[in-house]
Parts: sequence; C-alpha cells; structure tokens
Amino acid sequence: MRSRTARRLVLTLVWLLIFDRAVPPLLELAERRHYESAAAFRFENSDLFALGPLVDYLRDHPRHQRRRVVFFGNSMIFGYFLTPAQAIPAQFQTLQPEARVYNAAVNGQEMGTSYLVGKAILDSVDVIYVQVIGEKANEMLPSLIPVDDADLRRFHLTAPNRVEARLQRWLGCAWRAYGLNDRMQAALFGTSTRVFLYMHKRDLARAFDVRTLQPAADSWPPIAGHIALRAPRLAATVHVPPRSLKTDLAELARSHGKRVVFMQFEWRGSRVNDAEAGAFNAAYAPFAETVIVTVPPEVTIDGQHPVPAAAAQIAEALARHEAQR
Amino acid sequence: MIFTELRFVALFVACWITFYLVPRRYRAAVLTFWGAAFYLIYAGPFFVVVLVLAILAFFSGRRAAAWLTGIATVGLLVYFKGTTTSILVPLGFSYLSFELLHVVMERRRGRIEELSLIDLLAFVFFAPTRVAGPIKRYPDFVAAVRDAEPSSANVYAGLLRILFGLAKKYLLADVLALTVAEQTYVSSALHAWIIVFAYSLQIYFDFSAYSDIAIGLGRILGIGLPENFRWPYLAKNIREFWDRWHITLSHWVRDYVFVPVGRTLFRGPLRRSPIVIAAISYLVTFAIVGAWHGLTPAFLLWGVYHGVLLSLYHVVRLKTPVWIADHRWYEARAVRAASVMVTFFCVTLGWVPFMMPLPQAQKMLALMFGVAR
Repeated sequence: MRSRTARRLVLTLVWLLIFDRAVPPLLELAERRHYESAAAFRFENSDLFALGPLVDYLRDHPRHQRRRVVFFGNSMIFGYFLTPAQAIPAQFQTLQPEARVYNAAVNGQEMGTSYLVGKAILDSVDVIYVQVIGEKANEMLPSLIPVDDADLRRFHLTAPNRVEARLQRWLGCAWRAYGLNDRMQAALFGTSTRVFLYMHKRDLARAFDVRTLQPAADSWPPIAGHIALRAPRLAATVHVPPRSLKTDLAELARSHGKRVVFMQFEWRGSRVNDAEAGAFNAAYAPFAETVIVTVPPEVTIDGQHPVPAAAAQIAEALARHEAQR
Repeated sequence: MIFTELRFVALFVACWITFYLVPRRYRAAVLTFWGAAFYLIYAGPFFVVVLVLAILAFFSGRRAAAWLTGIATVGLLVYFKGTTTSILVPLGFSYLSFELLHVVMERRRGRIEELSLIDLLAFVFFAPTRVAGPIKRYPDFVAAVRDAEPSSANVYAGLLRILFGLAKKYLLADVLALTVAEQTYVSSALHAWIIVFAYSLQIYFDFSAYSDIAIGLGRILGIGLPENFRWPYLAKNIREFWDRWHITLSHWVRDYVFVPVGRTLFRGPLRRSPIVIAAISYLVTFAIVGAWHGLTPAFLLWGVYHGVLLSLYHVVRLKTPVWIADHRWYEARAVRAASVMVTFFCVTLGWVPFMMPLPQAQKMLALMFGVAR
C-alpha cells in the first residue's frame, strides 16, 4: 500500500515535470492565435483578469509586423450592449486592416487605469487611444501589471505583499505551469476559466430568456443623430497646460516617440474646455492630441452607450482624423 | 484564499518537515510555533489577544478563570461580530471562540482532566482550521497529534482531498458566485430563483471546499480532523440536514446550547410540555447559530427560520400517527426523493436573508413569489 502511494506520488511529480516542459511552447501558440489574429479583440465580459496577461504578452513581444493600436476607456469604449465586432475599436480595425487593434477597455475604468497600463506597454505599441474620464486607477492593478512606488502613492494603491510576490516569482520560475497559468487561461479562453464557464452558463440562461449582463442585440433602428469629431479651438493666448495624467502620458509618448490620442466625449449639457485642450495640442503635437467627439443622446442606447451605427461613426471619424494627419 | 497563498504553503511545508523531524514529544511545540507564526503573519497584533485567551483557558480549572475566559471570549466574539469594520475581525475568531468555550466547559464538567499548555496552544493556533473550521474538540485533537504517523499514503490522500477542495472552490463555487452577483440587476421571478439556487449551491461548494482543504492539510500531517459536511442537500428532512451541514457547529450547539437549555427547562414549569421545551430549545439554539454568523437582523432571521423548521419537524414527527409513519410508502424512492427536494427547497429559501441585508431580501422574496410591486 505504502509503496503504491509513494509510486503514485513520484509518477505525479514526473508527469508534472514533463508537462511543465511543454507549457511555454503551448502558451506561445495559444497567445499568437489569441492576440495576433484578425478577430476583434476585447476582454470577455469586460473582465479585468485578462488585462495582466495582455500587458505581459505585449511587453514580451515588443516587436511586431503590424501597427499596434490600443484603446482604453470604460464601458462606452468596451461596447456595453454591443457584440465585440460592433464596439468602436473593432470598427476602427475594419477601417485600418493593416493595424492590430486591442480593445483594452473595461467597464467603470477611469483614466488612472489607462495611464498605468499605457505606461507599462508604451514600448510595445504604436498608438494609444484614451477616453478622458475620471482620474482613478483600479485597486487591482498592482497585482496585474508592474506599478512603481511613485504611482502607487499617486493613485493611493496598495502594493501586493512583497514576500508573497517574491515567492510567486520564484515558484513561477521553477514551475512554469504555475507562473504562466493566468496567461494560459487568458490565451485559451480570453478570460479566466471561471468567467469562461460563467459565460457559457449565460448562453443557457439566454435560452430561458433571462436578462443577462450584456444583452447583445443583432438589429438596431437607424440612427437619427450625427456624431461630430473636431479638434479643440485654439485660444487667443496659448498657455502651458497644467500637469495632469494627460500631460504625463503625453510626455511619456514624446520621450518614447509614440502617439497618444485623448478622446474627450461631449454630451448634451457637458462642454469640453476648448482653451485647455487647444493648449495641450499645441504643446504636445504630434505625439499627443485631444480630439473632441460630440455624441447626441439620440444615437445612444441609454444616454451614454452608442448604438452600433454610432460606434461605427465614431470609429470612422477617428480613422479619418488619423488619415488626415 | 489564504490556503493558496505561497506564504501559507511555505509555512505549512516547513511545519510538515519539522513535525516529523523532531521527537514525538515535541510535535505539539512544533505546531504551536508554526501556528503562532501563521497568526503573526495574518492577524498581526491580535496574536497577543489569542495567546492571553489561551492562557486564561489553561487556568479554567478554577471557577473564576473559567468565568473570565468565557466572558472575555463571548465579549470579544460579540464585539467582532457587531463591528462593521472588517479589518477588526481577526482571523477565524468565530471558530476559535467556540473551541475555547468547549475547552472551558469540558474542563468545568471534569471531562478534560489533564490540560497541557503546549497542547492547548497547538490546539488554539492550529493553522489549517483557523480559516473556516472545522471546529475541533481538544481531546480528539491531542490524541490525533499524539498518534500522527508519517506516511506517503497520508500525504497522497491529503493532497487529493486538497485538490478536490480547490476544484470545488474554483470550478464550482467561484463560477456560481458570478451568477449570484447578478442579484444587483435581477428583474424577473425566474432570474431571482436561479440566483437563489445558485447561491444555495455556491455556499455549499465554497464552505465545504475550505473544510476539504483544512482536512486535507491535517491528513498530510497525519492528524485526523472531523468531517464538516456529508452531502447535506441529500437530507430527507431538516433535522437530517443539520446532521450533514456544518456538522462540527451543529454538534457544538447541540452539546453546549440545545441540551443545557432543554435540561434547564425540564426543571421548570414547562416539564409537562416536552414539545414546547424542544421548540424553545431549537429557537434559542438556532438564534445563537444565526448570531454566530453575524450580529445582523438578517442572520438572526435565518437562524430563527431554521429553529422554526426544526420545531415544526419535531412536532410533525411526534404527532404523526404510527400507522402513517410506518407505512411502506414512506420508504418508497419517490417519497424519499420528494422529501429531499422539499428539504432542499426549504433550506434554499432560508438562504435569502443569509445572502443579502433584510430590505433586499424582502424585495428578492417578493420578486420570487411574484408579489413585487
């Protein structure tokens, strides 16, 4: 009995060692298929889990054949109510097929998250589109992506326990199936195994006509309003824009020779400060600029989230603006 | 989940190695040392409070010390359960408090005659059961530590049990939790029922997963820990459910609340009404079980609900004529299956106030039964 269980333990260990050798090449295959295909890319169920693996992949693969464009923002950019192909970034991709567009937006995220993730992947991408909204960073970020001490203080984030982080690093180096397990899940399922199983359960719920988190509709009525995209008007006197997340990201883009486009959405009743945005553009062109997108409520589902046709118009306006540069 | 943190794993591996390297008589000291390290890492300064309580319990052979330990333990439990700032709730204090009270009461009853401080500290600081039980008994634990034998069979069985627990937690409980989270925008009766049944399964898989891992860790050390769950949703009645659900808690309240309350009432004017005594004992016992989970009206309601169910079952069982109770139909598979389903339904309905505050629970129940305005 004792020798049989001991043999089983040894066999399990050997099997784990053999499997561990196969993990990196398998991951390479899965990640290439997931991140470099032509299919629209966004996080399943707007789940933050896959953000860390995306950042790891981009940092590990800084060289690429296609131009890389990443969109950051909240549910509006993610495409709440819409299918992945209907969201703004996916529509942008259809207009710029030579580029690989990543929809890295997550529901409820603010510009602090965009700043930290953008900073982490700046060397691996060509253009970043950032929705201007709020200043906060998600408290989970330090456990997903590298965040330095200054940024931890700036965004009032808590660093992961250092001992735990070090142990995870050591174990991850020795046992690759452990170290790469989040990346493998993201590459295979587009999210965590848990959310993947939940999403498939949701398909069953749909069959019973139970309302779910992202009701995707196939048909929408034609839109009555019109999306307008404009550059901010320049003020008579150009002043230096005050330090902000925008200016910090713009500085980074300039120092790395990259480009950041800030999308400032203008709603009925909310007006963008043209003088400030104009001064920003004057100071940071061509590395960073602000574009103002006016979204009338008639083209939205709930006053904020655009219908697919409106998302297409926003993507078209952004692509046209890019082509005119 | 503390069990999957590498700091915990490292501590446990170190504990396992030293546990078998030292002579048998020092094993309790090894468990105390690593348990204290675990407490210092995860509960910080609260370690001192636990140490003081354990030392007080050691002297509980004396009446004054026993009272002091009991009052301090219950007082701290009420304080931690009543406070809303979760940072103040120390690691697994609910489980620890019941274990300490068990030691004090058994000591006073004379059932624990010899109490060694190092054994008591090993019992109190034993890390695997500090997260979510099971609630141990001192004599069984001391005997298990004394008889612990190193073996590859124990390691293998323990690892399998842990793997089973992890699969339950990550593949079932955590996936169901996403469905339960849909309660924030629940809009139809069917959706509400799906969420409540999902919660019913989630809480079972989640809680029993923690127990599986704790029991698996104990098994690796060669220390047998009591089982906490035995297919509770296959129970044919509510009493059987409590014999299968959180077994160590229900046995604790049976021994230290239900029986003493019943015995006290039998000495009073109610002695001619055993049914009333049983009902009162059930209600008091399960109000305490509810309060043990949290000092909120919702938890208390959940406890009282189970007290009422148990009382009703008790009355029905006693009042059912023998010719019906002994009828062969009672043993028919279909009747047994129906009993299991009715019990599961009643238990699931009870989870509604357990899963959310009372105002939301009211709305949820109204939606489930189609009386929402």
